[in-house]
Amino acid sequence: MSNRRIPRKRRGQRHQFFDADGVDEVLSCVLRLTSEVSALSERLYLTERVLEGQGLNVADAVESYPLSEADEAAMSAERQRLIETVLAQLGASAQGAESIEDGAGGPS
Amino acid sequence: MNRSHDHDMAVSLTQHDRSRRAFVATLRSHVLQRMAGDLRQHFEGAVGPECEKSGTPLESPEAIHDALKPELPFKAYSSVRTAAQEMVFDVVSDAVDRELETLNERAAQPAKQGSLTLNAALPLPKSVTGIDVHLSPGAYHEERAENDVSAGAVYDNSIDVFAFGQFGKRHNDIGATLSNYLRLKYPEFAPTSILDCGCTIGHNTLPWAETYPEAKVTAIDVAAPVLRYAHARAESMGVPVDFRQMNATAMDFEDNQFDVVFSSMFMHELPLKHIHQYLKEAFRVLKPGGVLWQMELPPMNAMPLYENFYMNWDTYYNNEPYYGTFRKQDYRQLLTDAGFSADHFIEATMPRYTFIGEAAFEESIHSNNTFDTLTGRMDPKGTRWYGFGAWKR
Repeated sequence: MSNRRIPRKRRGQRHQFFDADGVDEVLSCVLRLTSEVSALSERLYLTERVLEGQGLNVADAVESYPLSEADEAAMSAERQRLIETVLAQLGASAQGAESIEDGAGGPS
Repeated sequence: MNRSHDHDMAVSLTQHDRSRRAFVATLRSHVLQRMAGDLRQHFEGAVGPECEKSGTPLESPEAIHDALKPELPFKAYSSVRTAAQEMVFDVVSDAVDRELETLNERAAQPAKQGSLTLNAALPLPKSVTGIDVHLSPGAYHEERAENDVSAGAVYDNSIDVFAFGQFGKRHNDIGATLSNYLRLKYPEFAPTSILDCGCTIGHNTLPWAETYPEAKVTAIDVAAPVLRYAHARAESMGVPVDFRQMNATAMDFEDNQFDVVFSSMFMHELPLKHIHQYLKEAFRVLKPGGVLWQMELPPMNAMPLYENFYMNWDTYYNNEPYYGTFRKQDYRQLLTDAGFSADHFIEATMPRYTFIGEAAFEESIHSNNTFDTLTGRMDPKGTRWYGFGAWKR
């Protein structure tokens, strides 16, 4: 049972951008899932770093781990990669990639 | 554990909180840079030329909107942007929820230098209560406990995720930019009383007290939760501000009280009728020789056609229904309708003061105003804020 007091869902209907019902909502779910994947992946990254340099108290060590500029850059790049991967079918570059594949001939 | 801010109303952040916030900030930046770029490219390279060729050139923002709506880049941009906007408030609310009692207690501490005056009898305008503005659940006014500050805390925590750092380290760049513009452009002007209208958490109020330390600074808003938070935040930062719950369209102040009336990102959230009322009130409470000076979205008549389509996305899809009507107005005319002289109208586009520093900023304010794709947009390449107002002579 959630103890949330701040509402997480706004009032009113969501706008529908895609023609088929539910596509916008599925996309929203995918993005939320991706944010969790991102968080887990960052947790793992940090855990590995901490284990390398510290003892075995992983949870406390991760909470207090001071991010370096290199860590920030690595995590930011990974975040960007993840977004591009998940949204690959929606961007102009994805359309370009499809047309190349079509030109090369796909499996029949 | 990490803290969300460097003031006493900060909340503790787990690594999970920090990662999720960073993800949504990155996603927002991706939508507003890369996907917006894809959309523009699709318009300029395909939809626009095709309409030209078929003899139906797209000559208004509405026509561009209609032409792009069925296109995949528009659907993708809009759907992801909407989801990202909803996620902004979701990812910051967990940490606020965990510490809400503590925050509410902290905000109830006696004032040391400023003040907080609430008015529980103040009727809240329907434009505030009727919609969850910016897709923020409960908006700015909803209360969940006694002496509640949750809406203010959510707002303060959401800014960095929403703006991915583009509003400055203390979210104060707009206030810092506009106040320092006045100080440097009009060095003989020495205000002793300054009013911020629609201040929310006072993030753009506080720079005025820093820019003009001799001045008494007052800030008003209709929503109690954000004012409680604003007051506690300012107290912990040691900046004296008098926060009062008041509607800017019908102020309790006497005539001729203030040297400066300021607002930021305020008018575009008001119905046109309320904009007229607010500007008349601003004129009334200003002293002769005082100035109305506000940061806003640039007017449609100053911006290129595509930018007007792009900026107006929010009025259709981000629960900001008055935004499009506001941008269609002639801002100089709005002020003359309120009593200001057209001859004393001022406007400028300004680089961000806290990002470029005093020397570069001072140099820039003496050059010509520039309206371009960076005006009024959050862009790491160099946002320019738009300001307009008038002297009361």
